[in-house]
Amino acid sequence: MASLAARRAKDTTIKVISTGFAIFAIFLLAWILWTLVARGAPALKLTVFTNVTMPPGHNGGLLNAIVGSLIQIALALVIGGPIGLLCGTFLAENGKGTKIGSAARFVNDILLSAPSILVGLFIYQFLVIPFGGFSGWAGGIALAILVIPVIVRTTEDMLNLVPVGLREAAFALGAPQWKVVMMVTWRAARAGIVTGILLAVARAAGETAPLLFTSLGNNSWSVDLSKPMASLPIAIYQYAGSPFDDWVALAWAGALLITVGVLLLNIASRLVLARMK
Amino acid sequence: MDATITTAKAGALPPIDKAKPTGAVSDPIFVGALWASGIFVLILLGLIIAQLFEGGLPALRHFGLDFLWTATWNPVTENYGALVMIYGTLFSAVIAVIFALPLSFGIAFFLTEIAPQALRRPIGVAVQLLAAVPSIIYGMWGFFVIVPLIAAYVQPPLIDWLSPIPVIGALFMGPPLGSGMLTAGLILAVMIIPFITAMFVETLESVPAMLKESAYGVGATTYEVYKNVSIPYGKTAMVGAIMLGLGRALGETMAVTFVIGNATRLSASLFAPGATIASTIANEFPEAALGSLKLTSLLQLGFILFVISFIVLALSRALVRSRLD
Amino acid sequence: MTSAVDPTFNIASSVAAKPDAPPAPTKIKVEGLNFYYGQNHALKNINFDIPEKRVTAMIGPSGCGKSTLLRVFNRMYDLYPGQRAEGQVLFDGVNVVGKELDPTIVRTRIGMVFQKPTPFPMSIYDNIAFGVRLHESISKSKMDERVESCLRKAAIWEETKDRLHTSALGMSGGQQQRLCIARTIAVQPEVILLDEPTSALDPISTSKIEDLIDELKQDFTIVIVTHNMQQAARCADITAFFYLGELVEVAPSDVIFTNPKQIKTRDYITGRFG
Repeated sequence: MASLAARRAKDTTIKVISTGFAIFAIFLLAWILWTLVARGAPALKLTVFTNVTMPPGHNGGLLNAIVGSLIQIALALVIGGPIGLLCGTFLAENGKGTKIGSAARFVNDILLSAPSILVGLFIYQFLVIPFGGFSGWAGGIALAILVIPVIVRTTEDMLNLVPVGLREAAFALGAPQWKVVMMVTWRAARAGIVTGILLAVARAAGETAPLLFTSLGNNSWSVDLSKPMASLPIAIYQYAGSPFDDWVALAWAGALLITVGVLLLNIASRLVLARMK
Repeated sequence: MDATITTAKAGALPPIDKAKPTGAVSDPIFVGALWASGIFVLILLGLIIAQLFEGGLPALRHFGLDFLWTATWNPVTENYGALVMIYGTLFSAVIAVIFALPLSFGIAFFLTEIAPQALRRPIGVAVQLLAAVPSIIYGMWGFFVIVPLIAAYVQPPLIDWLSPIPVIGALFMGPPLGSGMLTAGLILAVMIIPFITAMFVETLESVPAMLKESAYGVGATTYEVYKNVSIPYGKTAMVGAIMLGLGRALGETMAVTFVIGNATRLSASLFAPGATIASTIANEFPEAALGSLKLTSLLQLGFILFVISFIVLALSRALVRSRLD
Repeated sequence: MTSAVDPTFNIASSVAAKPDAPPAPTKIKVEGLNFYYGQNHALKNINFDIPEKRVTAMIGPSGCGKSTLLRVFNRMYDLYPGQRAEGQVLFDGVNVVGKELDPTIVRTRIGMVFQKPTPFPMSIYDNIAFGVRLHESISKSKMDERVESCLRKAAIWEETKDRLHTSALGMSGGQQQRLCIARTIAVQPEVILLDEPTSALDPISTSKIEDLIDELKQDFTIVIVTHNMQQAARCADITAFFYLGELVEVAPSDVIFTNPKQIKTRDYITGRFG
């Protein structure tokens, strides 16, 4: 049996190390952010937002990539949002205690953590090859598949927080289920549902791998969903690995934009949720 | 007595068995949509599995099951095998878990037992934000910042010091390139720490206060309570959390692609460049022509990754289900 | 209603708002009702008449089945797979239990107010309008009138008239419960079920709700489940005592609280168990 002094010393040591680890984690976050600001901010000129991608040395920007990303994220939300909302509602309401409900819950948890690159490969096989090429549609749908499990999960969790009594009270007025859900349950959980959507957008915005084989990227201006479409992460990937200094700088500018956007979305979602609780 | 209600009521009500239900048409549609969306998720997973399998089928036919343990990846001779990538995927993910684990235990200890109440939430959120940073940003940070640091300050002394030792020396052989298995594992560790930590904290917070208090009551220190009461109490869930971290690390693509070196050779060294399934798919896909053996081999790789991830994630799910934070 | 030997008929007719009032007809007639939560037999062969425009109280210790019976009347149990009722609940002679009748119809005629106030996350006005819009499409001005009349009936108009369009979640518990009563009235049910409506409220709010119940029985048939025997004695014309899923005794409240026939009833009302 160790002496009291030795046990105290061990306790203190572990506490110091643990505190050090926590500080280290925050240091890492700060380090990443600092790297992005130090390298990205100088390259963040107005032309980044006004010019499309151009060959090295031509003062190109990221306009087409930013717009392409926004279009594909919007498409992902339009497709994935309703499906995710309905499926999350299904899990929290009708699917409870049923075999299909449990299976869908399990599968959704798998999809939530499954490698995103495989979603890209799937859409490549499923849509890109049969429909004759890379397209904004394919990119948006690939992102939709990433958005769905996030929305399903938050929607289910948040609806489970709505008191049973509120549902019963609405049913007791003779309301059909769709009115109970839309007018009362969703409304009561709306802050949580919004949180899920914000988190889903944040996830979709930063994903690169699923877009590699779906919307591919496009170096000229295009908002045609049936053609290959540029996106911020793909442009960053392409430029960061290039040997040209101005392209690398542009990649850092894009990286700064995307990270700030994603982190703000995350913080916003937490604030919305905190206000709900 | 109120006019509005009585006038509306007087004799207006049909017998109850003649009345019309309020959602006779709309409700079956809505409830049908709910069920359909639940079934859709099941079909989606089925489709993903089927498409990846079907896409990789020609490679499976061509190479047979040998594909799994062939260590060649040669586009010139069109001879492909998955062993190097499977090895790289598992090796880098295991390195990630090994590094992430003590940090996650420490941070979770800090967040649940040490930090002042007012600091817990902001620090917890800061750690969680590490999970929000996009994968590609980790790739750039790793490639431009971490790789040079490791090449200059970490690898040379380790190579000098450890590589002469027999057996374990093999782990530290090779030139100090900076990129490679170890670097990939380190970056992955940073990426999975938030997931593991969050689930650790959630588990630790569910330990009944009475259990901890009775341990404190017999004079245990904070660390002793953590180690002997809290961790054993949450053991199952914590193993599940570690599995989830492993599952996440297995399929990570962009960050790994930037720092692993992308060499399709088998090497035992931590410092040697390597490849994971995901990084190989990302890297080689642009050069794979439609209908080529290479493309179908890549799809077969994707299928293998799916199977590995599925097993790990399903195990994790069986042990714990966290709330999404 | 011709059988003079039907004991429930006698009970119903012996209770009167005024001494010379005619006997109240039966609004709800429970016949051979059994109820199951999965394997658990929660209500055993209940036979029981509820008179129209009277207050009927159901009392008994926790788990005796009184709330379960209430939730059978408006088919609330339909929401939960695994719960099932056998037997008949005749509402104006029509069986409302079973699959023939859509539960939304039953719930429209038989409203319910819950133990905890359940205001919807919307304005006071919309809380009332929600139920009305389900069943009727009426003009804005008609809706305004309806909202006002319901709030007046629920004795909460004075407190809410200046903030009809603010969130109902900002009201006190007692106000919320009266709002829930107003919301239930707005749908124009014939029966109102009250499931321990005052158990979450302070004494002042409780007495306001009790006064309200007295008012409401002029227009509605009221069934109230309560833990509070004084409340049953004060409000109810008829009281039914349940124990372990069985109906032990039903009688006019003054009889049950002064001269119960069954020993179990007497033990319960004198506080020997419960």
